[in-house]
Amino acid sequence: MRIDTIRADGGKPAHIRHDDLISVKGVSVVYARQLVLQNIDLSVPKGSFVSLIGPSGCGKSTLLKVLAGLVEPTSGSVSIGGLSPVEAARKRMIGVVFQDANLLPWKNAVDNASLLLGIADRSLSRAELRARGQEMLELVGLGDSAHKRPNELSGGMRQRVAIARALALDPAVLLMDEPFGALDAITRDSMGQSLLEIWQRTGKTIVLVTHSIDEAIHLSRHVHALGIKPGRITGSIDIGLPYPRDLAVTEDPEFVRLVVQLRTMLRASHQPGDAS
Amino acid sequence: MSDQPMTAEPRSASAFAAATSSWLPAVILLLATIVAWEAVVRIFAISSFIIPAPSEIAQSLVAQWGTLMQATLVTAAEILLGFVVSVVVGVAIALVIVRFDWLGRALYPLVVLFQNVPKVALAPIFILWFGYGLAPKIGLILVIAFFPVTLSMLAGMQSVDRSLLSLMDSVGASRTQILFRIRVPHSLPNLMAGTKIAATLSVIGAIVGEFAGASDGLGYVIQFASTQLDTALVFAALLLVSVLGIAFYYAAEILERIVVPWAPKFSHA
Repeated sequence: MRIDTIRADGGKPAHIRHDDLISVKGVSVVYARQLVLQNIDLSVPKGSFVSLIGPSGCGKSTLLKVLAGLVEPTSGSVSIGGLSPVEAARKRMIGVVFQDANLLPWKNAVDNASLLLGIADRSLSRAELRARGQEMLELVGLGDSAHKRPNELSGGMRQRVAIARALALDPAVLLMDEPFGALDAITRDSMGQSLLEIWQRTGKTIVLVTHSIDEAIHLSRHVHALGIKPGRITGSIDIGLPYPRDLAVTEDPEFVRLVVQLRTMLRASHQPGDAS
Repeated sequence: MSDQPMTAEPRSASAFAAATSSWLPAVILLLATIVAWEAVVRIFAISSFIIPAPSEIAQSLVAQWGTLMQATLVTAAEILLGFVVSVVVGVAIALVIVRFDWLGRALYPLVVLFQNVPKVALAPIFILWFGYGLAPKIGLILVIAFFPVTLSMLAGMQSVDRSLLSLMDSVGASRTQILFRIRVPHSLPNLMAGTKIAATLSVIGAIVGEFAGASDGLGYVIQFASTQLDTALVFAALLLVSVLGIAFYYAAEILERIVVPWAPKFSHA
């Protein structure tokens, strides 16, 4: 058979792997005289799915905000496609999703989905924005709910709108800070699955901050573990499980082995006596 | 909780039942109070210029209907105009404070300071400056009622979630965009709450203004009737003032439902 020349990791054969889209070199962040992040080196390949995992207070959210251009690093450099994060954000290369969907309660789903695009690009007409919002809602599986207000949507649906809102910018990279952290376990699983599908359909680069070991391994290609006090990267694992992955992957012996490996890594980086 | 299954009752029927059961106790208490009042006045033969019986108030209301209606219209016009001016000025001050840092830092402490002036005491000064007409009443309502509008709108505009602001920053939103697309609509439920307070305060402002100096309006009727020891007429005018107050309050509440249909509703249950 000739298929053996193509890597089996989900229609993303090795040859489309370009240079790193995100490159972080020696980044430290000092906030209120506290060293929040120490000497972070991180590279995210284009089209990759990378997770940052660590205990509360390890600075993983701060690192994501550095990537989004929302926090200025005290030292070190960050490049997103050769640009600074702020420049990249101005060029709509960055889409951000937080734990709280932060939808505007007075706008319906489609108007929420196109909100940031409308602010980033004032030349677009209302109809163009609506069309783009509708397209993105369909991508996240909410095509039927365009005219519903946030209070008519479930927590999972609201978060889907938040993802649609980020995708509407057509960003190169999607930065997600515990996007499913407030959802129940069942919704969380289906959201993760949807995110994988969206990733494979759009080819976006995704950086996901999570504190769920299962979620990190289930979704990502690379996982970076962060330690606490000061926040630093203590280890990285490549997840070789083939894509497309579904929930059955969580029963794979390799998955279980990776869970143990990552858990051990996180435990080692967690300072003794600091069991917060 | 009982283990009975939830039954899907017709919504309108249950809503009607709920409304009746929530209003009924208040109505019964009100009627009982009126009956008791009438009885006490008659049994103890209390002079009508001290406490008139409800029946005497009703008679006065009917006898002086023309005068009272004319006065009610005058007062209602003052309240409405004063209320609108208060809301417009209150919103404008809040917008300026939020949009312009420096001006805000200058303005806000002065607004708070001014709030501590006993504004009722300004009434004679306003009469001195603006005469006996509409203007001093509008001025008085303004100084009494703008503050809750400003304060509630400020609170609403400043309580926007930080991560939402981060999202706006992430696409380079300008301050003006954030103000008008996020902060102002976000503040509307708060603003409407402040507006309801302003509606109530506007009624007080109008009556105080008329007490201080007027030739017309319900406040004038109350003052005039009390010098004539026509206490029944005082109460009749008071009743109309209350009706006006309730009417303006509910008008503000209807406005709220139109302006902020997404805001959480409060029930008295």
